[in-house]
Amino acid sequence: MALLTTHNLSIAYQEDATPIITDVNLSINAGTFNLLIGPSGSGKSTLLKAIAGLYPEFGGAITGDIKFQGQSIADLSIIERVKKVALLFQNPSEQFAMTTPFDELVFTLENLQTPPADIEKRALAALEFVGITQFKDQNIQTLSGGEAQKVALAICLAMESDIILLDEPFASVDPEARLDLLQKLQELQQAGRTIIISDHDLAGYADIISTMYTIDGQHVKIVNDPTSYFAKFVTETATYQPVSEPSVFELEAFGFKTGERTLLQPLSLAIAKDKFTLITGPNGVGKSTFFTALTRLKTYSGEVSYLGTDIQKIKLPKYVREVALVFQHAEQQYLKMTVMEEINLSLKHARFPELWTAAKIDATLTVLNMATLKDHVIYQLSGGQKKKLQILLMLIIGTPVLLFDEPLAGLDLASVHVVFDLLTTAAHAQHQTILMISHQLNGVTQYFDHHLLFDNQTLTYEVH
Amino acid sequence: MMDASIKIILALLISLEISFTTSISLNIALIVCAIIYLLCKRVNWKLMLYSIFLPILPAFGSWSSLYFYGTGDHIHMSFVLLTRIFAYIWIGSCFTFTTDIDKLLKSLEQNFRLPSTFVYGVLAAFNFLPRIAQEVKIIRLAARMRGEILHFYSPQIFFKAILTSLNWSNNLAQAMRSHGFAEGATRTHYHVIKIPIWNWFVALVIFIAVQIFLFMSPFH
Repeated sequence: MALLTTHNLSIAYQEDATPIITDVNLSINAGTFNLLIGPSGSGKSTLLKAIAGLYPEFGGAITGDIKFQGQSIADLSIIERVKKVALLFQNPSEQFAMTTPFDELVFTLENLQTPPADIEKRALAALEFVGITQFKDQNIQTLSGGEAQKVALAICLAMESDIILLDEPFASVDPEARLDLLQKLQELQQAGRTIIISDHDLAGYADIISTMYTIDGQHVKIVNDPTSYFAKFVTETATYQPVSEPSVFELEAFGFKTGERTLLQPLSLAIAKDKFTLITGPNGVGKSTFFTALTRLKTYSGEVSYLGTDIQKIKLPKYVREVALVFQHAEQQYLKMTVMEEINLSLKHARFPELWTAAKIDATLTVLNMATLKDHVIYQLSGGQKKKLQILLMLIIGTPVLLFDEPLAGLDLASVHVVFDLLTTAAHAQHQTILMISHQLNGVTQYFDHHLLFDNQTLTYEVH
Repeated sequence: MMDASIKIILALLISLEISFTTSISLNIALIVCAIIYLLCKRVNWKLMLYSIFLPILPAFGSWSSLYFYGTGDHIHMSFVLLTRIFAYIWIGSCFTFTTDIDKLLKSLEQNFRLPSTFVYGVLAAFNFLPRIAQEVKIIRLAARMRGEILHFYSPQIFFKAILTSLNWSNNLAQAMRSHGFAEGATRTHYHVIKIPIWNWFVALVIFIAVQIFLFMSPFH
């Protein structure tokens, strides 16, 4: 018998609204590895949250039934429910109530009425399995995305839930940590757990999964020929040029630390003007910190000059209009309530307003698949839609240098191409320099001129 | 080590009592005892300085208004108020400088049936505090990069900070729920906080000592 079944399940944001997903009839067997794919905003998170039993309590109207071993989730107590199904969220920083991994595990085990004598043993065993025992008493906010997701996985493990749901868990995880986590998941599956995971990046799944599902329109379907999907995710050989003249930034004896830890040993380097530079490197190496130093949010040693002037000598209000940061968390970029209010705010200060006519905005929203969302509250957009809007807002402003921190997280492959088309056209027309941190490299390497690798406390240009 | 909830109950009781008594010597005795206690606990001297300087203005203000403009027994009362304010601050310091919020909430949860929703709500809020300051910085920078200048008094900062907090609180509630937290459900406790009998005994002795001192003190 199937472990998890859904019967004519439909989910809408609220009652009487058009359902996001309708007539879902899933039947998932115990011990299987299931992958859920679908475009950004198609309702993957919504479906997973519904299965985890978070709706209707946290918004969302559900019709139909979700059953575990024939028992409806609505009839289960919260404790019974989490022992059957655990959910790992998309955003690693917002799924913990306590300050340290160990405290969060203790909190969870206490909730499940674990006998006090067993708590420490189970918590340590879970940390041990995912390999993060060394961080057990570290503040969670200081962990990298990959480390935080490992903590979240340790919690799912400690709960001994039969089914583990993962909602795009690798959006801010570097490729190496991602493979490591995927392997842990496979071990769990082989030990009898059932895994349901949503992801845009299909690399690494081909040999693991039992079944692949896709959300097509409002329907969830089984993919019969997954190989054709995996074929799009072969690693391409990229070509990168040596750094070119003229340069937008010149770094002289430039280095920085966080606390006592040196992130970057002093070095001298130039960054090319009007070009696209890709920055890669493992989680926690200091890529985001590099951007905060370039935007003067963080102190550094040595000198950074922007178009020949030391950036410390440029007035801050002027400088931030020259070099802007596109945050990793899209919501931090927003100041208003709705999509259109945000766009209008950007238009008010656009450097090249003639490029952003009403017709152009409409056309752009259409290609971004967001034309119907103009009056939507931005906080209700899906993870991918938030990212797309954020990128559009910063392009409209037309700042000469844009520093993108993981802009592709949560975007499906089609959206990635649309975003890059937009980015290259706008950057060319507005003479912009683009620096981008990204773990997600599928289908994007051809857009970059240069590639900086950040590892072992140093930055080096990769040329091939 | 006194239990956090016993400490706060005792501190509140004594503070309540000195609100109604007019004994200068009791107030001074309490301040002296509090200072000795904090010195024994090796509390950071900077924090202690804070407790000396912070009450100066309100204490002096109350003293001068009564001393110069009061009627009746105003000279005595002005010194009662002066010492009372210092006593409040130092009794409070004995509690706050030696206890962390985590221990207090957990002791109240386990020994005085404080609802766990309240306990973990407050704990989570404390964990979020440092992030809010950081968030306000980011909001101002984000605005600058979009060409808008927000001052610390701009309503937009508050609007955005409130939206962000609401969003966080919703995410947090979902996270707590998916980690098995249920309102009103029984939980087990990894660290069982039991209040030892001697804690109650010490609290009682201190409280009685205050009464005896009050009864025998020279300036009523």
